[in-house]
Amino acid sequence: MIQLHNVSLAYQQDASALNNIDLNIGKGEFVFLTGPSGAGKTSLLRLLYAALTPNRGQVLIDGQNITRISRSQIPLLRRSIGVVFQDFKLLQNRTVFENVAIALEVLGWGRADIGKKTMHILKQMGIESKYNLTTQRLSGGEQQRVALARALVNDPKILLADEPTGNLDDANKNQILNIFKDANIRGTTVVVATHDRRLIEQSHKRLVTLNKGEIVEQMEKETASGHQIL
Amino acid sequence: MNKWKKKQPAAIKSFKRPTLAGDGFGGRAGFFLSRAVNNIRQNIFVNVVTVGTITLALLIVSLFMLVFVNLESATESWSERVQVTVYFDKELTNPDQSAFREKISALSGVSRVSYVSRDEALKRFKIRLQGQEALLEGIRPEVLPTSFEIALKRSHRDTASVESFVTELKRIPGITEVQYGEEWVRRFNSFLNFMRLLGVLLGGFLVIAAIFIVSNTIKLTIYSRREELEVMALVGATRFFIKAPFLLEGLIQGFVGSVLSIILLFGLYEGFLQNAGSFLTFNPVSSGLSFLSLEYIAGLLLAGSMLGFLGSLTSLKRFINV
Repeated sequence: MIQLHNVSLAYQQDASALNNIDLNIGKGEFVFLTGPSGAGKTSLLRLLYAALTPNRGQVLIDGQNITRISRSQIPLLRRSIGVVFQDFKLLQNRTVFENVAIALEVLGWGRADIGKKTMHILKQMGIESKYNLTTQRLSGGEQQRVALARALVNDPKILLADEPTGNLDDANKNQILNIFKDANIRGTTVVVATHDRRLIEQSHKRLVTLNKGEIVEQMEKETASGHQIL
Repeated sequence: MNKWKKKQPAAIKSFKRPTLAGDGFGGRAGFFLSRAVNNIRQNIFVNVVTVGTITLALLIVSLFMLVFVNLESATESWSERVQVTVYFDKELTNPDQSAFREKISALSGVSRVSYVSRDEALKRFKIRLQGQEALLEGIRPEVLPTSFEIALKRSHRDTASVESFVTELKRIPGITEVQYGEEWVRRFNSFLNFMRLLGVLLGGFLVIAAIFIVSNTIKLTIYSRREELEVMALVGATRFFIKAPFLLEGLIQGFVGSVLSIILLFGLYEGFLQNAGSFLTFNPVSSGLSFLSLEYIAGLLLAGSMLGFLGSLTSLKRFINV
């Protein structure tokens, strides 16, 4: 589903953000991306939804080389990718419903279908009672769930999340993690960037560790032994 | 894991894409329009500021236009006085008259030719000297010349055209004495040219200032909503989809702004007509002042709408990077 070959990225000439990344994430996989701040987690995610283009190497999403696609194809790519941003990127003066519905509006759905689907996902996230509140009146955990709802409402093939549990308490963290797992069960490939060790340990999923723009460790948590895949 | 995998096929089926209800151009246009109206409602302050700026900018420009148009029509009536007169020292017979009239009318630029007989000339002379009739004692029509008065078309009233017309005129056999108030024509035309130049410069300056102010205001309002643009791009909206509501919004703002400016301008104009008598020496109502013609009003509406539309278009370019 996601393949990176020799990907290098530099924001400025001498400061490289990612260095020779090779990564293969299969369909339906659940992968944690971890590493210290500045390791390149966010940069890696941004490559995947074509907010950045690598200086070198290839990025393939679902068999499509997104380093070669034209600008007009980027929206189509993004429709199959749900992204949860570190800062949520919710529209503050819009209601919860509007924030989620926007992802379906861009697909050209009809009003009635958008209403049904949006309320359905809000119910799944447990925030259907707040659908008519503007997002600035929600707590951090609730905003996180709106962001998740928006990312998942169009049933994306891939879900990317950047520090999704950043400021949440444990109860909220677990709920969010369960939502990721549910999405994964329904067939969505999930990539979560986090440096929350507990979240990773609890979930027993594949782990990719980045440091200074390079992959330093990859392990399948379920094998429990820290066995290296690559 | 295996336990979950079995569930997959059934789950995948459930995310089949529903048919599009708002498909086709009509549905989309309706969607974009409702979206634009919603945007205006939700960002009411920003919209009031933008519409206000457009209104003021257009008001200034249209006020200038109103003054300019009225000055133009005033000079138009003055330029009626650009007139060429051919004098004869004898009364012309009717066949002579029509022969001359025909030859003169054949020249380019002539709008009207009228014959002034001796009696007519004396009548005018008397009117000129009203109150001093004593001077006219003993004067009989025979001492006065007869003449053809030739009015020129509007496009032929400038100095060079008048001069070349006079040369042509003098080529007609029998015509020797021609007068056209050279000095006056020259002065009048240079005044007219100066005024037009001033108008174009000042008007151009005002228009550029208006465009600058409006486009920057729109840029700021769009800047304040760049997050929205960003989010739309991130959830997979095409460039057109992101832009369309904003462009419609700009169009609406521009149209509303121009309507308001015309209403305000009309109010000012009416107010001026009502009150000007008290501080001006002339009565503006009877002096032939007129409001902007329908063409100008249509032009203003179009200009306002385009201002909003293009302002949004150019500003959006900066903030959409899909």
